[in-house]
Amino acid sequence: MKQTLVTGNEAAAWSARLVRPDYIPTFPITPQTECIETLARWISDGEMPGTYFDRMESEHSVMSAAVGAAAVGARVFTATSSQGLLLMHEVLYIAAGMRLPIVMATISRGLSAPVTLWSDHNDFLDQRDSGWIMLHAENNQEVLDMILQAYRIAEDPRVLLPVMVNMDGYVLSFTDEPITIPSHEMVDEFLPAYTPHHTIAKGRPVTVGPPVLDEYTFFRSQNHVAARNALDVLEEVMDDFDRIFGRRYHMVDEFMLEDAELVLVTQGSMSTTAKAAIMEMREEEGIKVGLLRLRVIRPWPARAIAAALKNANAVAVIDRNLAPGRGGIMYPEIVETLYHLDRRPLISSFVVGLGGNPQTELKVKEITRKLIDDFEAGRPGVEWNDMNDNELEGL
Amino acid sequence: MYKIRIHGRGGQGAKKAAKMIGMAAFKMGKQVQDFALYGAERRGAPVMSFVRIGDSPILERGYVDDPDAVLVLDRTLLDLVNVADGLDAKGVLIVNSEHEITIDTPATVKHVDATSIALETIGKPIFNTTMLGALAKLTDIISIDALDWAIEEELSHYPKELVRANKDAVRKCYEVAK
Repeated sequence: MKQTLVTGNEAAAWSARLVRPDYIPTFPITPQTECIETLARWISDGEMPGTYFDRMESEHSVMSAAVGAAAVGARVFTATSSQGLLLMHEVLYIAAGMRLPIVMATISRGLSAPVTLWSDHNDFLDQRDSGWIMLHAENNQEVLDMILQAYRIAEDPRVLLPVMVNMDGYVLSFTDEPITIPSHEMVDEFLPAYTPHHTIAKGRPVTVGPPVLDEYTFFRSQNHVAARNALDVLEEVMDDFDRIFGRRYHMVDEFMLEDAELVLVTQGSMSTTAKAAIMEMREEEGIKVGLLRLRVIRPWPARAIAAALKNANAVAVIDRNLAPGRGGIMYPEIVETLYHLDRRPLISSFVVGLGGNPQTELKVKEITRKLIDDFEAGRPGVEWNDMNDNELEGL
Repeated sequence: MYKIRIHGRGGQGAKKAAKMIGMAAFKMGKQVQDFALYGAERRGAPVMSFVRIGDSPILERGYVDDPDAVLVLDRTLLDLVNVADGLDAKGVLIVNSEHEITIDTPATVKHVDATSIALETIGKPIFNTTMLGALAKLTDIISIDALDWAIEEELSHYPKELVRANKDAVRKCYEVAK
């Protein structure tokens, strides 16, 4: 094990290399390109024997090729972003419905129009109901660790579902951070060679993904059961990961929550700056504020979230996404999760950071002050965002 | 935490310079973060890159608006970009220029003719690495030995003569910077 300075894209490429995939179908898109360029270079240099790399003509074809390869029992990796992820959308449901353990890194970038290259989470969250397991990393170490864990979850016979692991474009994808890259031996111990189930094989013809008419509901409900099973599997996988690699992850990331009266709910790389701001606010202003970072978006870890927030007086859900005409996408999910608690906190909604709008400590402090105002007024805020005042009108 | 911002034009290697500073500081046992901010990159367009160096894990992310040091790879940017933005009296601004620079800032302003040094030493106007010698000399944040290592790591796929020429240019810049 050694510490190395790598970007988020390179961290994703490293984990793909370490799991010894059979097949990597690709199509380049900013800000994912560096990830597949790195893999292409390693493969051409002979660093990844046994891995076949394909450059397709679109993301729709990438996911179709991934489905085909996984259906014959290949371990598959790919990566995409933004419009590319949207172009895959139709095939994502097929991958989940056919129960294929594909793992994909998604590198979040805001959606057109207008064009942005910078990050927000609308592309990722647009896949929320596709049946994929959805994980979201905070930093480059977690990108690598999550992708390794993703294969264990995806390939578990109790789950057999595809997994996407999200990182924020630019802020992680193009940022060098020191991370620990584990050895092949450790990864082999954690993730044994893939034993495929129910695959198409020579001499053993099977039909996958046919029309079913009467049994459709049965198959859909199986998807739901498998996704829920993933929560238990994830607990086991995180335990095993800690045992082998010495890094402990939890269903949700709880930061300074023990005595927190106010809690910020965050996702992805903005959590890092929010943690820094929280330490300052505690030290300088004595504000009892903590943070809950969502790592697992699907399946939804309702119990872990409710347990972490049960003592809070007020909660700020900070969405780096926008559902026009509705607001932040995760806000209603958190409200629903806490609705059944005996003692419910006040829950305010904040929409920030669209298209790479910077996530500063100052902004986190502003949000916290607004949350305190909301709590004192006894009325949750649902209209705060970091767009300018003109744009704010009418939201 | 020590923060560095680099201004250059697309193609001049601002991103690579940030990476090399990051690598050098990393070699010295520091916590680091380096990245480049760009949109639709194209040759000649103003670009920026950033490095944060600290003794504990770095929690700040994104654009550096309060740098301790600013490197300007191309002095023609001075008319286009407020390169001194966020610098205070303790800060230092180092410009690649053959003549002295006058700019309205409380920070110390230095200049070094990295282009000429690069042309003499490398034979090409590769001033992104060259300028790092001035940073090492004028700030103490990275050592010249760590820079040597970073250049060898980052340019490992280039011919050996080119790597040596880059290291020579950095050392020469280190010697003349004041």
